[in-house]
This record gives sequence, structure tokens and C-alpha cells, in this order.
Amino acid sequence: MANKHNHIPFSSLFSPTEVICQTDQTDRDTLLKNLLELLAYQRGIGNVDEAYSFVLARENEMATIVAPGIAMPHARLEAIHQIIVGVATSKNGIIFDKNNPDKLVRLIILTLAPKDAPGAYLQAISSLANICKDPTTADIVANLPTPEKVWSFFEQGGLVLPDHLCARDVMEPGEAQLQEYDTLERAIDLFVHHKLNELPVVDKDGELIGVVTTYELLRVCLPDYILWMEDLTPIMNFEPFAEILRKESKTWLTEIMTSDYAVVEDTAPAIQVAKEITRQKANRAYVVRGKKFMGVVSLEKLLNKILRE
Amino acid sequence: MALPYIKKETIHTAGRVGIMLGVSGLVGLLGHTVGLDRQQIISCSIFIMIIMATLLFWKLRLAIAFVGIGALMGANVLTLPTFIRECKLDVILFLVGMMVTVGVLKELGLFTWIIQGVISLKGITGPKFVVIIVFLGAFMACAVDEVTSIVFVATLIFQVCDTLKVRPIPFIIIAVMGTNIGSSGTMLGNPVGILIGQNASPPLSFMDFMHWSFPIMLVTLSISLVVLMWWFRRDIALLSQRLEVRREVGLGLGPLVQVPYKRGLAVLVGMILFIALHHHLETKLGLAPNTVLIVAPLVIAGLLMLWRHERSRHYIESDVEWWTLLFFMMLFAVAGTLEETRVTQKIADYFQQTFGSRLSILTPMVIGTSAIGSAFVDNIVFVAAFMPVVEKLQQTPLLWALLQGTCLGGNITMIGSTANIVALGMLEKRYRTHVHFLEWFKVGLVVGAISCLIAWGGVVLLSPYMPTVKERQIHRLAPASPDASRGSGQVQSKELQEQLNVTEKP
Repeated sequence: MANKHNHIPFSSLFSPTEVICQTDQTDRDTLLKNLLELLAYQRGIGNVDEAYSFVLARENEMATIVAPGIAMPHARLEAIHQIIVGVATSKNGIIFDKNNPDKLVRLIILTLAPKDAPGAYLQAISSLANICKDPTTADIVANLPTPEKVWSFFEQGGLVLPDHLCARDVMEPGEAQLQEYDTLERAIDLFVHHKLNELPVVDKDGELIGVVTTYELLRVCLPDYILWMEDLTPIMNFEPFAEILRKESKTWLTEIMTSDYAVVEDTAPAIQVAKEITRQKANRAYVVRGKKFMGVVSLEKLLNKILRE
Repeated sequence: MALPYIKKETIHTAGRVGIMLGVSGLVGLLGHTVGLDRQQIISCSIFIMIIMATLLFWKLRLAIAFVGIGALMGANVLTLPTFIRECKLDVILFLVGMMVTVGVLKELGLFTWIIQGVISLKGITGPKFVVIIVFLGAFMACAVDEVTSIVFVATLIFQVCDTLKVRPIPFIIIAVMGTNIGSSGTMLGNPVGILIGQNASPPLSFMDFMHWSFPIMLVTLSISLVVLMWWFRRDIALLSQRLEVRREVGLGLGPLVQVPYKRGLAVLVGMILFIALHHHLETKLGLAPNTVLIVAPLVIAGLLMLWRHERSRHYIESDVEWWTLLFFMMLFAVAGTLEETRVTQKIADYFQQTFGSRLSILTPMVIGTSAIGSAFVDNIVFVAAFMPVVEKLQQTPLLWALLQGTCLGGNITMIGSTANIVALGMLEKRYRTHVHFLEWFKVGLVVGAISCLIAWGGVVLLSPYMPTVKERQIHRLAPASPDASRGSGQVQSKELQEQLNVTEKP
């Protein structure tokens, strides 16, 4: 079956009439309400108050600042059947995240997606990936004087919604990783410090060579031949763990490292991530480019991104 | 898309069903051309169908055996009383008792203690490790059966190979081969041992195995060990290197804990003694041959279940391999119909006509045939079919030849014995890898051929000292018969007299 390539331009998701240009408004919530009312008037989005509460709830949970000066608030609505985008630019900047008042936002791209379109918001973000990389984008767009010029910026940029989400769109950089020469001691420290169950192990070139899991660590302490015993008396005081503790600084990670984990290429469709996680009965998949470690997709984050964001 | 996948699977399945029915039908046709009657043809065809099922539909073999039994009964080749007699409940109950006992021993920490004993050895090297796994596998098979033995030895191998990051496949092959060879050492080593021992007329005792099979096993095992160590010398050298590196930094091969092993060891030693003394006890108590042998594991299992009553249901439900035992029962019953319909008699006659009665020809023939047969068919299947033939030949050394051939032939291919399949299953589950047919076959053929030659030499060497069938009958029945032990030594038991009328072939 041939793949369908839709190549939907990002600029086709809105028109100049859905842009609030160089607003003086400095209150985030009021601006969002204004933007939703504009979209309701122009495109019809159902109950504005309901949409507002969804957008605000999401924003209060975690600010959606995706790049310097750029925020992408979003919500899923039952009343709409296609992605609707509204854009606002600010002269002076708006405080989007009360915890980071210094991070002023000058470009707001509000994305409303149909309730039954998993990943639509991520596709929209993905299409803007190139402009988000440029730290001056927010300032450039905010200085455009008319809605038409703002729309033209996106139109001329040739930004296109991807056909599907890729693994890199849903991954997050690995917050902690181990080197091949690390010892068990460091792995235990990182497990405890980061409250993680798995850690990737990379070599000197940053290539993923394995994964260390707390389960494997437990299995090293309690191998099959100890688990056979019904009587727990010999291990009541965690005796096998004591030996591990005594030797943790001498034990190389490679001894407990497993090569049995879910791994996907960064360009693989995001659904491949879900497939690998399911197939391996894992909690996370590791994203690589070639062999180079790129990031991690945890099951909970994946579900959140696909089903909630 | 799913549809082509389903179609491909369906075509494969239909192809395999076609092969199974085709071979079964061909055997029936062949039987017709050699003059077999209707009942003989049906029993041969269904027996071959079940053999083919074990090869082509391993997971469905029990279901096919059930259907086969139904077909035999429907065709009036097998009756219910014959079925009940031929499904060899004595062998099945013996295995149930052993499985329960092994389950308890495992929980009591006996096997943990043994494995810890190996991994805590000072100065262990690759060759030493190989010698240990071969002899441990063999002796544990002698004590508690080959499947139990390989499960524990494979766990030991996985522990060592995981820790040292070396490929476990060579060591699994080595251990399986040692276990298969060791399984010929005693009556407990392999289900075929108890099947041959119990179905020989008169039955063979535990001590018969110790006299006539154990020494051959020791020689075969030692020479096979040398061959295996040469074959896998590179892997063994790598293991030595990794062990040395680990020893230099003062690291062991796994955590060690204090295991209360004494109760388990006492149970195992007690059970082996009980079984080893079965002939003596039967003689003293005036019991039929092998009564104590069969009942001993059951009694011990019962006592253990009384002791650990809160776990007794678990032992029966989880530790007994009901799937396998039911398959054995069906298989024995189908093989019994071969005897009932006198197919085995015809094959035995054919053997005698072709090869005469000379042991010098029959011994290698039986070893060779059973080794080749066991290489491709589950050895219990082969023994179930071939045992009546060997029995009809009425020569004691041939029983040992059959035992050696079926146990040693199991090494030739990766599907040759239950131990092979269990070990490879564990390997696949743990490492998601598998052994290639040829990787096993090359070493299996060498070890299988060498060990069969040694076994042949051993049987030939011991044959002059082995009791004849008549001598065995006198030995087994006379002391057990209260009548025979009285008077002037004249045998008065009617049963004994009838049995002694069987003439020993020259």
C-alpha cells in the first residue's frame, strides 16, 4: 500500500484574520481568551469557556514554551474536526511561566486539535522545528507590523506538517546515562538520585551499547539458584546484597548490562516506538541515530504526548 | 497485512499435515505389501502418525496422541482393558514420585547448595569448569533424571556465562551431552531406563544397571569429555581468560549464602538408598520384582507432602509434568498395540532371519538402530516401539545395547532427547537465541558415533559375564517365592516354572 503524502503547509492551518498582531496585552490568560474568542468567531470552536479552561489547565500544569520567546499552548476539543491555529505576537513580551518571569514570550501559536487526532499537536510542533531552532525567530515575527506579514512569514518558510510523527518528535534527551567504564557503584547512585529504573550505557563515541536496569541489578543479587529456595532464612537480612555492596566499586557495568531493550531509529515513525515498547514489554525505548544515542521515550510520556497533548 | 501471513501459515500447516498423513499411509501400504493384516496395518500407521506428530507438531503431540488412541479403539485394534494395561501406570507413577521429590529438593535448597559449591571453587579454570558440568550433569542425571539435571546445570552455566560475558551455547551443548551419556548410568537417569528395566522379562533391578551400565557410562563419559574439550577448546580458553581476570580483582561468580542443605541431601541420599536396596527389600518382603523400586519415589513423595503439607498441592500441580506423562501414557498404549497385534514379533522374526542370533551382529545392530532412531525421534518413543522386539530376541546384552543406543543417540541431533529440548528452550527464553541444527549436528555426530562405539565395546566386553534370561529369572523369582525358598531347592512356584520354560536363545 503506497504512503499518502499530504504535505499540509502550516500556513494553511490559519489565515491573517486569525492573527493578533503586536498586542499590548501583557496578561497571558486574557490574551489566550482573546485568541480563543477570535478563533470562535472566525472558525467556530464550540464552547469558548470550555476551550479556555482546557488551554489554561494545560498551561498551568506546565508552560508550553518550546523555544526562546515562543509558546505553543494547545487543547483538544470535541467540537472541531481539523487542526485550527491562532497566532498572536506581543510588542513587550508576556510572562507565560510564573516560575520563570524572565522568560518573556513574544510569539504565541495556539493550536486546537480534534479530540480524536492523536499526535496532531506534536505534528504541528514538529513542523515548526526549524524555526524554533533559530533563537531570533520570536523577535523577527513579533516585529512584523501586520497580520498578513506574520502569515507570510510562515507561508514563505515552507513549513509543512509531517505525514507522521517520528521517534525524535516524541523523545526526550536522556537525563542520565552511564559510560561503559563506569562501575556498579555509579549505576546504583544514578538509579537512586534520578529515581529511574533504567539507564542507557554509551561508549566513548556516544554510541548506545546497552542498558542497565534495576531489575537486572536485583537479578544479580537474587539469581535463579537462590530463588529456588522456599526458605528465606538464609537471605532474610539481604545477605546477597551485602556482597554486591562490598564489590560494587570493582564490578563493571558490562556485567549486568543487558542488550535486550527496545531501540528505534530517530527517523522511525513514532508508532514504531509504541510497537517496540509493547513487543519488548518494556517501559521505555531508546532512540538512536545509527548507533549514536539520541534520547529516550518513556511509556508514560509517550502516552501523554499521543493521548493528551 | 494479515491475510497473506495467515495463508502462508495455513499452507505450511496443511503441508505438514499432508506429510504426516502421507508417511502414515505409506507405512500402511508397506505393511500391506509385506503381508500384515488389517489390525497390524492400522496400529503401525497410527504409531508412525504419532511419531511424525512429535517431529512436525511438537506442541500438538498430545492432542494427536489422544486422537490416535481414539482411532485405534474405533478400529477395534485397541480395547479399553488393553489400553489400561499397556499405558504402563507403573512407569508413570514412578516418574510422578520422582518429579514431586525433585520439586521438594529444589525448595529445600539442595540444588542451590550444589551450584554454590561450584561457583565458590577456588582456582577454577575453563577446563575444570567443563569437567565439573559434564560430571555434575551426568551424576545428577543418574540420581534424579536427565531433565532435572540439565535444568540445574544449565542454570549454573547461565550464571557463569552471564557473569563472564561468554557465549553459553558451547557449554550448554557440552553439559547436555554429558547429561545424556550420564542418563544411561542408572535406572533413574532417563525414562527409557525405567521403561526398559520394568518391561524386561524378568524386570531389571537398580543394581543390574549399576553392574552393567554404570561402568560403560563412566568410560563413555570420560572419552566424550576429552572429545568435547578438544572440540570447544577456543571457548574454554576464553572462559579461562575471563575467570583469571575476574580472580585478579577478587570477584566471584555470584552471590553466596548459607544454605540449609542437609535436609535435602538426607532426602536425596535416603531415596537413592531406598531405591538401590529395592531388590533386597523385595526379596525380604516376598514382593513382586520392582515393587519397591516403583513405590519408593511415591512413598517418599507422600512423606514429603505430609511434612510440607501446605505446599503439597503445588508439588503435584506445578512440579509434575502432566503434559509429558500423559503423552507417555498414550504412546505406551499405542506401542502396546504393536505388541498386541504381533507386529513386534514379526519385526523380531525379521531381525533374527536377517541377522541371525549372534550377539556380535545383533549388538551393534541394536545400538546403531536405536541411536539413529533416537537421534530423530524422542528416545522414549523409540524404546516403546523397539523394546518388545528386543525382548523377543531373548538376549540380555541386547537390553543394555538398546539402553546405550537410545541414550547416546540422543546426542546426535538437537531434538534427540528431552534434555536437549529443555536446555535449548531455556537458552532461547533467556538469550532469545538458538543453536543451528548443523552446529549441534557436527559435534553431536562425532560424540554420538564415538560414544556408541565405546558402548558397543563395553557391552561386548561385559556380555560373557551377564546373566542369561533364564539365570535372571531364577535370580529374580526364586528368592522372592516363599515356595522356592523351602524344601530341597526345587522350584515349586507355578509362575516361576512357567517363566523358566522360556528358552534362552543361544
